[in-house]
Amino acid sequence: MTDLASVWQDTRLIVMTAQIAAIYAAILIPFKAGIPIIPGFVELRPANAIPIVASLLFGPAAAWGAGIGNVIGDCFGTFGPASFFGFWGNFFLGYLPYVMWGHLGWLSSGGPPVVTSWRQGMEYSLICLVGSLVCAGIIGWGVEVLGLLPFVILAPAIFFNNVAMGLLLGPPLLKFLYPRVERWHLRFEDIRATLNRGPLLEEKRGSPHQSHEPVPSSSGHPRPFLECSDWSFQYSGAEVPVLQQISFTVDSGEMVMLLGQSGSGKTTIAQACNGLIPHLVPGRVSGQIHVLGRATGHDPVWAQAGRVGMVFQDFDAQLVATTADGELRHPLEYRVPPLAPGEVDRRLAKALSHVGLHLNVERDPMTLSGGQRQRLVLASALAQAPSILVLDEPGTDLDPAGYDRLRRILLHLKEEGLALLVTERDYENIGFADRLLVLHQGALAWTGTPQALLRQPQVMRDLGLRPLPITSCFEGKGVGPLPISVEEAWTCMEEQGIKLAPSLSVLNDELRLGVVQSSTERCEPVIQVEGVSFGYDGHEVLHEVSFTIHSGEFVAILGGNGSGKSTLSRLMNGLLIPTTGRILVSGRDTRQTSMNELAKLVGLVFQNPDHQIFAETVWDEVAFSLKNFGVPENVIETRVQSALASVNFPFEGSRTQDPFSLRKGERQRLAVASVLASQPGIVMFDEPTTGLDAFETERMMEMIRGLNRDGHTVVMITHSMRLVAEYATRCLLMKEGRIVGEGHPRDVFSHPQWMEAASLNLPAISQFSQRWGYTLLTVEEVRASLTTSDTVPVHPR
Amino acid sequence: MNISLYVAPRTVLHALDGRTKVLMALSLCLLALCFSHPLFLMALFGLVVGLLGFSGAQANVRKMWVLTTLLFCYSVVLWPFFVDGETPVPGLDAVGVTVEGVMVGLAMGLRLLVMLWAGIWLLSVTAIEELAFALERLGLPSRASFAFSLAFRWVSILLGAGVSVVQAQRSRGLDVGAGGIADRLRKYVPLVVPLIGQALRQTQMLAMGLESKGFHPFAIRRNSLPKTFLNLDYVVLGLLCCLLVLALWLRMNGVGVLRALS
Repeated sequence: MTDLASVWQDTRLIVMTAQIAAIYAAILIPFKAGIPIIPGFVELRPANAIPIVASLLFGPAAAWGAGIGNVIGDCFGTFGPASFFGFWGNFFLGYLPYVMWGHLGWLSSGGPPVVTSWRQGMEYSLICLVGSLVCAGIIGWGVEVLGLLPFVILAPAIFFNNVAMGLLLGPPLLKFLYPRVERWHLRFEDIRATLNRGPLLEEKRGSPHQSHEPVPSSSGHPRPFLECSDWSFQYSGAEVPVLQQISFTVDSGEMVMLLGQSGSGKTTIAQACNGLIPHLVPGRVSGQIHVLGRATGHDPVWAQAGRVGMVFQDFDAQLVATTADGELRHPLEYRVPPLAPGEVDRRLAKALSHVGLHLNVERDPMTLSGGQRQRLVLASALAQAPSILVLDEPGTDLDPAGYDRLRRILLHLKEEGLALLVTERDYENIGFADRLLVLHQGALAWTGTPQALLRQPQVMRDLGLRPLPITSCFEGKGVGPLPISVEEAWTCMEEQGIKLAPSLSVLNDELRLGVVQSSTERCEPVIQVEGVSFGYDGHEVLHEVSFTIHSGEFVAILGGNGSGKSTLSRLMNGLLIPTTGRILVSGRDTRQTSMNELAKLVGLVFQNPDHQIFAETVWDEVAFSLKNFGVPENVIETRVQSALASVNFPFEGSRTQDPFSLRKGERQRLAVASVLASQPGIVMFDEPTTGLDAFETERMMEMIRGLNRDGHTVVMITHSMRLVAEYATRCLLMKEGRIVGEGHPRDVFSHPQWMEAASLNLPAISQFSQRWGYTLLTVEEVRASLTTSDTVPVHPR
Repeated sequence: MNISLYVAPRTVLHALDGRTKVLMALSLCLLALCFSHPLFLMALFGLVVGLLGFSGAQANVRKMWVLTTLLFCYSVVLWPFFVDGETPVPGLDAVGVTVEGVMVGLAMGLRLLVMLWAGIWLLSVTAIEELAFALERLGLPSRASFAFSLAFRWVSILLGAGVSVVQAQRSRGLDVGAGGIADRLRKYVPLVVPLIGQALRQTQMLAMGLESKGFHPFAIRRNSLPKTFLNLDYVVLGLLCCLLVLALWLRMNGVGVLRALS
């Protein structure tokens, strides 16, 4: 019983309980096998295996989670007094397997809770039967007491359902999940082992320090708001420290940006600023980080919430309420001492005004756009009136317009005296920082102003960063300080007497892109979108869209968030069917062609690879679609090998490597391989570079270009103008469900009115070159066109 | 994906304190338990329908009517086989169905409807946080009520992810509708594993998010909303008490009770 109580003494276990409840309810509600046992009451549902499986992985957290999850499931039509019995029935279904596994005397297998031997199978079957029996007994009895249904009807039905699901789905789910849960240290035993952490014990007794006033240094001078001194950190289980001897300060009214490649330690520092490291992330720490003079490793995380506001890269992980109002009030309701109700309302109004969010506070945050949700999380942090604001890669999911809005908000907060620490992985959003700190190979490798760094392209490369394209254009051209903006580049050209004179070969896109197909081949249409409209829940997302994609093209679909790009991709591979109009894929109407047939013609790589990866090994993951399509075993081997080779993924070890252990970029490439295995002629990529750093982005894009050169027609959804300029042979510009511009990137970028209509910014290089009447797309094009000669080329502009 | 049944138009019922609304729904269920005569239960059902209509929850009723009607029909059809009676139903006496049994089936079906629709009404006029807070003030441990509201929040996120998972696997040729029952059920593994895997990956991040916002397991949460227990709440609760006392008195005197169940 102490196990059951311990669940409520640790934030991670409370989170785990809520997650199990959410998973159970989320699978309970939509995933119906449609096979009724008692029509309307009980039907075979895959979800009923979850309490048993979760119990064996997460112990008592699964018991509470299963009970709560069942009540939430009831909230969709069957919530009532019987939910009370449903709670307890599912509670025991989620508790008994944990209690019984390994405690059945000679019947116990003595192994971990997976079914790999007949003894484990016997043990599993037994606990499945007992758990289901108790669950069915409680619910059946309760429902009869309420007079709703006879026990002899309901109890056997529930019993049969739970046993059937537990026996059929439980073993494969455990096979897939147990090794991963073990690796992530999420088993109940692993979390319980860390329950008696020092800071948490202090929380129970002491009153935390929540002062906002900076503690003066021993010399009497005010200390910086944030002070990091010789700070090092090594993650538990890692062989080397991720960061060593990092020292820096951030003061009031200052914005400092942490820059570095993926894995350079930016997020580690961000998480240390409010004590998440070391309080919630185990590892070895040395040195100190002080916020307002208090060591962040000393006070518990929750006590620092009023001093340090945090916005995670995955800001959705910070949303806890079902209304915007609840989201904003939540942190203030835990404050010690409590705020007066009037003060709460005043703070909320001020925070919303700071982030420029004007919305109905009763709205569910998940119905807001990504940018609005991020601003809601930011407002929730600001409502606590922190002195320091830490934002971890805030630009990851924002389109240019969204980031511009965020930039204005941050500058305003800086003017108000907040100290801001922002992490970024690329040059694009660093220009407005006061100071940059570049992390490289575990050390603070460079500090200075953004301007100073941007003017040194080679230093940026040495630090693993991509230099500004406009700066790279003038590198080695003997100009003084290298330009870092379009205006500076123009001035530089005038002062140095340089002219822009692109040759015909520079403007020849077939040569640049290495397009090898003949014009006849390119003329063959492979996707024809004819007057397509589509809507969800009465809200039209696409309006009368028409275009054609030809064989061998590399087409980019470009547009801001919510412009309908992703919906269009799902219509083109038949996942969605147009409300009006039609789509032909290789001449077949998607309305009349089966999903399986279309999947062989069009492969779609989803934005988040984690939405498809499930298999035990890399090989199985790639072979999954082939097995579904009934490809013979001997062909599968060759196809898997070829698909992995296409994405530069080593075939050796693929039969044992767990895809869940791969890094984000590797998982993304694996997702591509699993689509390529079925050899579709057309491959669509939905935002393929989201969350990747400059190196990984380059690698991904070169791989996509390689596929195109090998003969695949490529359709890429993106809001990155740079990628379109460098890689696409044609682009479609979308705004609010309509095509507002179409053509070769050079043509599209030559129409500022189209870009304006789509709320997109022209790439700096194109903007720069348009002064001379040309639209250049890449650094190489500009470099090849810079000349001091007076000869002016004679060719159309 | 919005999964909440809460309807925004604010009526006087929306403005009631969360505790009053919970006790109202509970009282409706208790009233349904007091009676077993279809006429009385029909009147009670009418009251619930009226509450739903007055609260502007027609859309939720439309969403749920198929499921609840199915449950009602099932109860009506099933119960007569389990209740003894004296008056056989012509044509069905061979299978033991009596008029008393049919009456019980009708009554139990209506009782089920009253309880389910009272639940729908409660969720239509009470936001999840309000419900969690009300349950907390009625004695549910605060951490349990918080876990409930937190889970509710994440269900919509997981359902959104679930749509993507289904689409991703369908576009790789997974067809859960094909094959025998066992085959079809096993095909849910590629749908369920990414969903659970993704959720578990976030466990640490979610815990960090909570503590960064000031939450900790021993924290005392104070509702920052203005106090909403108004005179109307006392009136409603008083009325409910009177109704319950009256119902109990009627029941003890055999009014509104079927003889087959008395």
